[in-house]
Amino acid sequence: MKPDIRRTWPLHLMLLPALAGLIVFNYVPLGGIVMAFMDYKPWLGFDGSPWIGFGHFRALFEREDSLQVIWNTLVISVFKIIFNLLVPFGFAILLNEVRIRLLTRTIQTMVYLPHFLSWVILGGILVNFLSTDGGFVNRVLGAIGIGPIPFLMHGDWFRFTVIVSDVWKEFGYGTIVFLAALANIDPSLYEAAEVDGAGRWKQTLHITIPSLLPMAIVVGTLSLGNILNAGFDQIFNLYNGMVMNKGDIIDTFVYRTAILEGNFGFATAVGLFKSVVSMVLIVCAYRLAYKYANYRVF
Amino acid sequence: MRRGMRKWWSAALVLALAAMLVSACGGSKNGGSSDGGGTQSPATSSSSGSNSGSEAGSSDGSRPTDSPYRDKYDPPVTITTVWGIDPALTFKNGETIENNVATRWALETLGIRIETLWSVTDTNNAFVTKMRLMMASGQQMPDVVTVGDEQLAHDLIDSGLFREVGTLFDAYANEKWKQAMALDPHVWDPYIRNGQRMGIPVLDYAYNHDYLLWIRQDWMDKLGLEAPKTLDDLEKVMEAFKYNNPDGLSPDQVIPLSIGFKNTFNTWMGDPSWVFGAFGTIPEQWNLTSEGTLEWGSIHPGAKQALETLKRWRDKGYIPAEAALWDENKTAEPAVAGVAGIIPGPYWMSGWPLQDTAKNVPHAVWKPYPIPAGPDGKAGRHGTRFTNGVTLISKDAKHPEALFTYQNYLFEHLADPEPGSQWDIGVFKGYDYDLDENGNPVYGDDIPGGAVNINRYWLVRDGARIPDAQMKALLRLADGKEPETRLEKELKNNYGPETPLAAKVLLSQPDISYIDMFSGPPTPTMKERLDYLKKIELQTFSEIIYGQRSIDEFDRFVENWKSSGGDQMTKEVNEWFEQTKVK
Repeated sequence: MKPDIRRTWPLHLMLLPALAGLIVFNYVPLGGIVMAFMDYKPWLGFDGSPWIGFGHFRALFEREDSLQVIWNTLVISVFKIIFNLLVPFGFAILLNEVRIRLLTRTIQTMVYLPHFLSWVILGGILVNFLSTDGGFVNRVLGAIGIGPIPFLMHGDWFRFTVIVSDVWKEFGYGTIVFLAALANIDPSLYEAAEVDGAGRWKQTLHITIPSLLPMAIVVGTLSLGNILNAGFDQIFNLYNGMVMNKGDIIDTFVYRTAILEGNFGFATAVGLFKSVVSMVLIVCAYRLAYKYANYRVF
Repeated sequence: MRRGMRKWWSAALVLALAAMLVSACGGSKNGGSSDGGGTQSPATSSSSGSNSGSEAGSSDGSRPTDSPYRDKYDPPVTITTVWGIDPALTFKNGETIENNVATRWALETLGIRIETLWSVTDTNNAFVTKMRLMMASGQQMPDVVTVGDEQLAHDLIDSGLFREVGTLFDAYANEKWKQAMALDPHVWDPYIRNGQRMGIPVLDYAYNHDYLLWIRQDWMDKLGLEAPKTLDDLEKVMEAFKYNNPDGLSPDQVIPLSIGFKNTFNTWMGDPSWVFGAFGTIPEQWNLTSEGTLEWGSIHPGAKQALETLKRWRDKGYIPAEAALWDENKTAEPAVAGVAGIIPGPYWMSGWPLQDTAKNVPHAVWKPYPIPAGPDGKAGRHGTRFTNGVTLISKDAKHPEALFTYQNYLFEHLADPEPGSQWDIGVFKGYDYDLDENGNPVYGDDIPGGAVNINRYWLVRDGARIPDAQMKALLRLADGKEPETRLEKELKNNYGPETPLAAKVLLSQPDISYIDMFSGPPTPTMKERLDYLKKIELQTFSEIIYGQRSIDEFDRFVENWKSSGGDQMTKEVNEWFEQTKVK
């Protein structure tokens, strides 16, 4: 049955405002990308600012520390992506096994809460909490004979702290998606498995996990787009002179060099670089998801 | 039939949505092209009003006269401006920034009509953003605008939309203003282009962020300690605080000296730069050398000795174990909690945050002390320029001299009024003061309807401030004088109890403040290299203090700094410094 445009035109018309909004706010500003190739000065505008070709990109890669910064970003964000996928996945399955609804709900709310705290606040709390000088964590570790660990003042520990604290903050939020997927599993599958004599472990292994995999692939694919976002507000609030080598990421670097200096061209160039990398990754991941999980958006 | 009805409904809905969209677009378009105010129809109408006003003004101005300057303009002239309104600013009697007691005063007393092109509540940098948009869309600039943001000021000056003001200042500013400006001729530096003064610096009270040491006097007294004159004395004080603590704190609880350097070694509170000062340099800024050139303070040989000192202090536990993680506000925490003995900070700190110490330790007493000297008798702290932005005058302003009529009046009558003069007890009755039935002045909440901060209603932020007026008033109070002038009364009422004494201590070392001598727009190399250079500096310095690198790494850092663009940057900075000398 072919849709009849004469009958559905009011629907198309109603779509127009949203479409116009999309074009005005999402597509027209794309023109601003030209700033990445200009020494952009606001008062000279787009016609007046001089073109400098790939100058900003050269500046980005010519700095002695730029590879280090990109590497830091990748390491931190890859680990964040992996653990922000695995932890909620496992946690949702475990939570699903808890049969007392009230308990499930309470736990779910509690792990969800940190998501709403800002890193400005959490940064201050973490500095106190992880202090080598009487901080809670180090006192507990001290009691079992583990010497004070400089969580925030040693490069490798800093990365560890940043990744773990981010996973701690966000895994409750990620769990929600998986719990929703769990609720959609056809109960008759479990009934059938029980009839066949499968225990809870076998049911989890052969029904729950395979049913959740497509959702995990979707979440993973989407988060790949963030591979060059290692979490500006978190790192900015926690980093310091001692961990610059291993903690400085693209976003903090752009903040210092471009935003503080009003250097819009450079900020745009880095943003464009990040977007291109993200797009390539998303396209690849989408292809893979399409091929192996039969996941499709379009 | 029913089907038709439904169709009509949806068609009507679509039409309504479309109409909304069109009107929304139209609205934003109008807002963008005229004043960006969107829904502010008063602003739009006032902007059109201002056009006609300035045209009227120009026909007046064409009348032949020797000097256009008047003490009062008749018929009135118009100055257009734009406002970033402090979100905390309040109005009364239904007034607005466009029309209030100060704008009416200007019209009645000086014959100057202040026309507002637009105003915006200045949260999240709204003012800067709006100015940048205005600049980007090529709109007519206001006659007069005061800008606090340094980068925006440089951009506006370089846009060529604003005129040279130095000659106007020389011709029209009165003696009081000129004297205030002459206190530090370098206040003009940032706004000089090729020897021409392009903006009038907005003067503010001096020494606001020049720090001194705050020390727990009750601890000093109980231990019978003398005021520390040198770093060695200070070490003895810190040792006594730590191991003989009068409040019975165990050594690992006490933080003898609360400092931090999370982002920088040179800031306004809890800052270690005076340790560098004791060795003849201030880090992370451009200092004037004896040859009259500018040098980046962190590569000075004295910095190496300062780092050795800081490392020793850290090893002995005199400074916080995690100082590398602490920013300014964090350093105040142990001070307020009563476990810190010394904290560097500005003279007004007894008001905030140190006043809160009494809540935790009732017997705690903080007293200000001078900055101790190093082994060679040198002492230093970072100094602050006493400007708070810049006032720019548009190229197209019809009556640039009217700004001077306005400001001259404020410098004469508002900046530091004599007892008994016109604005001695207050400026606008019913706004910043009122009279009770006996004719005595009342302030604050005693004013019917509450007080408002009229100093933010002036065309130039805070009206007129003479940089040393506040310090001089504080010194008079420190000598036990009863407050007489308005400034003295304000200080007595609004500042912490130790502030006059702190001012005296501060001014006992007038020559040790190192002001960052570079205040121009960032040079090309600076744009590309400064962040990297600062990063390796922060990293090297922190790691040296924490013993992860040997002190000899400092020499390698200096070489690295020079070859990675530092030398080039120094050259450019000195070229800039050369051209600020007014031709």
